[in-house]
Amino acid sequence: MNTMNSTNTMHTTNTTSNGVMPCRDFFDSRHFANPFSTRFTRPGKIEPRDCSGQPLAILQLLKQLHDCGGTAAIQGPHGSGKTTLLVHIAGELQQRGGLAASLRLRSWQDAPAVFFAIVRSRPGSTVCLDSWEKIGCIAGWLVRMAARIFQCGLLVTSHRRTGLPVLVESATTRELLASIVCQLPDHSRWSSSLIKESDIEEAFSKCGGNVRESLYELYDRFEHRRPLL
Amino acid sequence: MSSAREVIRDSPNVIVRFNEPHRIYQPRAALILRYSIEGIDNEKVRAVERSVLWYTEGKGEEDLGVHFFERLSDRSKPTPTLTAGSFSTQLPFSPLSYEGVIVKVRWCVRVRIFFEGSRDFVSEHVFEMGQIPPANTGGGRLP
Repeated sequence: MNTMNSTNTMHTTNTTSNGVMPCRDFFDSRHFANPFSTRFTRPGKIEPRDCSGQPLAILQLLKQLHDCGGTAAIQGPHGSGKTTLLVHIAGELQQRGGLAASLRLRSWQDAPAVFFAIVRSRPGSTVCLDSWEKIGCIAGWLVRMAARIFQCGLLVTSHRRTGLPVLVESATTRELLASIVCQLPDHSRWSSSLIKESDIEEAFSKCGGNVRESLYELYDRFEHRRPLL
Repeated sequence: MSSAREVIRDSPNVIVRFNEPHRIYQPRAALILRYSIEGIDNEKVRAVERSVLWYTEGKGEEDLGVHFFERLSDRSKPTPTLTAGSFSTQLPFSPLSYEGVIVKVRWCVRVRIFFEGSRDFVSEHVFEMGQIPPANTGGGRLP
């Protein structure tokens, strides 16, 4: 048997539970995880924040949702954190036993799955729907009727007006992007050498204010400069 | 705040020892790993999961495959059997590790510690399977 002679070099980042980053070790800068990869930036991994970069209070939003009768919309432009917020609220609802289903819509053809979720839901529970605009006007109206009949709440994301009460109007700002970048793993290790504040500014401008696209742009910059790590 | 969170704040340190000094394995090779968990209150550990898995890292959809998985949670055994141990597995033929620009394929050993109070801590330890040359990342030129 070979001897056990490769020990770890630990670079601690964080604990993990419910989407928090794992602690990782690596033995070569090539293996340093790109902090802008989907692994760390997909919805659910990033803490939802408002346009000033301050964390959103999920419990407060749940109370507002309840005050809205359980049905509301998260509105905002592309890449402004709507899905991220929806994932976090859905997670909180699930912990409280109030989540009926969470679905991502792609077209009106997803309407049967939504109806099925509503029919199966307990009264007072919530169905979370990402990309509400994709379902279309007619199917959307029918879904709302079904939700009303079965006393089921709807929490949807949309980049257009929905006619539903607005729970959060999300927006993209440089401050939001900068605050997200600060949350990413091993920030102190690469923030001064690889990705600087000017990169964040440039990525935001280049991507027209789309935070998700800006993170992809920063992913590329990180990869180009990885040898400098 | 739960006591488990206090434990986590103390930064558990998972020490691992691979049987290959440079952590580079060939397909079908035997991976033998010894580990110990330090910096925690052993009494608060409820279970330990150890796994060998690969995952993709990049800008698009993620993919992941678990090659080996084992959960230790036998309360009847003394706690040290949870916080230190070893395991071995024979690696598969594929996928090979790849350090690309758009996508990377990485293998790792993951040790997950479950504390009382439904809190957990995950430690990942990267190794390579195969020796595919990495993609050219631009040699440090700024975009």
